Amino acid sequence: MTARILVVGEVHGSRLSGPTLEALGKAREVSPGAGNVIGFLAGSSARSAAADFGRYGVPEVWCANDARLDTAPVGAIARSVASAAEAAGASIVLVGGSTFGRDLTGRLAVRWNAAAATGVTEVNLADGVVRVRRPVFGGRATETRRLEGMRFVLALRPHAFPLPADAPTNPTIREVAPGELPPNLLAPKRTGVEPVATGAGPSLTDAAIVVSGGRGVRSPENFPLVEALATSLGAAIGASRAVTDAGWRPTSFQVGQTGKTVSPQLYIAVGISGAIQHIVGMVSSHVIVAINSDASAPIFKVADYGLVGDLFQLVPALTAEVRRVRGL
Amino acid sequence: MEIVVCVKPVPEAETRLRASGDGTAFDTEGVKFVLAGYDESAVEQALLLKEAVPGSKVHVVALGPAPRTEEVLRASIALGCDLATWVDTGSAALTDPIAVARALGKAVATLPHDLVLCGKQAGDDESGLVGPALGELLAVPDFGYVVDLRWDAARSCLTFRRATEAGLEAWESPLPCVVALQQAWNDPRTAKLPSILKSRKAPIAKAVLDPAAAGSVNRSEKFELPPPRTGAKIIEFKTPQEAAEKLVRILREEAKVFP
Repeated sequence: MTARILVVGEVHGSRLSGPTLEALGKAREVSPGAGNVIGFLAGSSARSAAADFGRYGVPEVWCANDARLDTAPVGAIARSVASAAEAAGASIVLVGGSTFGRDLTGRLAVRWNAAAATGVTEVNLADGVVRVRRPVFGGRATETRRLEGMRFVLALRPHAFPLPADAPTNPTIREVAPGELPPNLLAPKRTGVEPVATGAGPSLTDAAIVVSGGRGVRSPENFPLVEALATSLGAAIGASRAVTDAGWRPTSFQVGQTGKTVSPQLYIAVGISGAIQHIVGMVSSHVIVAINSDASAPIFKVADYGLVGDLFQLVPALTAEVRRVRGL
Repeated sequence: MEIVVCVKPVPEAETRLRASGDGTAFDTEGVKFVLAGYDESAVEQALLLKEAVPGSKVHVVALGPAPRTEEVLRASIALGCDLATWVDTGSAALTDPIAVARALGKAVATLPHDLVLCGKQAGDDESGLVGPALGELLAVPDFGYVVDLRWDAARSCLTFRRATEAGLEAWESPLPCVVALQQAWNDPRTAKLPSILKSRKAPIAKAVLDPAAAGSVNRSEKFELPPPRTGAKIIEFKTPQEAAEKLVRILREEAKVFP
């Protein structure tokens, strides 16, 4: 079974976002063959970003070239995506696992009358049925779901896929009209953006690597140890509830059941004992490293690799080694 | 302001997960259900708005089987919601998130609704589709990942912030709209005993939905638990430098996650 897959592009700067590239790579794997994967872009920067689709072998990009879509809520964009998918003869719309991608999936599923799933880690096509695997319960279990019908909208789990290889081509640009946009979908206004409070690093839920500190760090004055390791790895900084409850770091840093759920490629827990509260928020990380002085700490039960020892010696040594290897 | 909050019962966080006998789905036998965490934030936000805007009413709506769905509705009434509607799916659960949204949307459409609130996702299936799907069904804008919400009476618009990859986006929107809450930055209240007792007798409007006739095109085929983690491979070392070198080598060559 081959299917035509429309990948909805999200643009950061003038380039396709990381989650979009993950979706593009997955689409090429699910439906190989020339012309099976096509792109979609909305807004006034659509045409310039279309070249980026071409870089990864997408021969055809549908553009809703309308400046009203630059800052419109996702509901306005879903209409153009549905029109493009219809016009292009796509049966699957695939999006990256960003906040935009997930919001779009819900709107588009209704608008385009499609079966939908988010957080998808595997896609299989057979006999007109789409099967997806997706982690549930904070990564504590995985379900396989059978989707039926003629149309499907899937959002991937972020950071679960490699980026596609270059396969440069010069894509054909096709215009899709956004059509009548109801005034109420254009009335809301985005009035500003406050950058994430982690400084220059990536945001916690978006990062491929997260370094978190816990009670074992002992005081807020010692937290720069954790930050230095995070910086050396280009990682986001997280914290256990003990740390945010004590006010060493703002609540926005908290990883766990009552904080953020993260699933990076690499999670390093520094001085975190591993209360279930914390585990629930990070257990679906691909690789977990724990650094703790207590060999019986529960964190070592969920970690893949452990260093048992004094974090005040181990973390600076690790930071130095990472910097050396990365040539920083 | 007429506020509708959609809520869902989910297994409490400490639940030991099990697959059903045939392995196709999550086994709910003997599981205790509670109000989903983000939905609790949505209820709290609804009650804060009701307190801030005189003459407001909060109508809580839930879909699902007995007795858990009725229980979360009564829990929401005990917290301060004024009215409740239960879309009763009998003994079976409906797990196609879009079919759920369609049924909820049908119920919400019959109620006065200036603002529709829900959690950004439930802690069990983590789909996050009901909020945006409700927006499309009700033909209003929807906003996900919202962390705080205020009503600007002078300008007749909602002002709120959303946590996205770009940071905290500030927005303003006229009503009606749908807002999916990420996390209340205030502590959700707890119900007081007299309210809990009173909520047991509160009337709940009921609509019956046969899950088999709900247009479901998304079904669970398999529910799997990961093999139990065998515990960390403990790296032996004599000096911190040796520990660091060994770990970096493993992350590069074995785990292949070094940047």
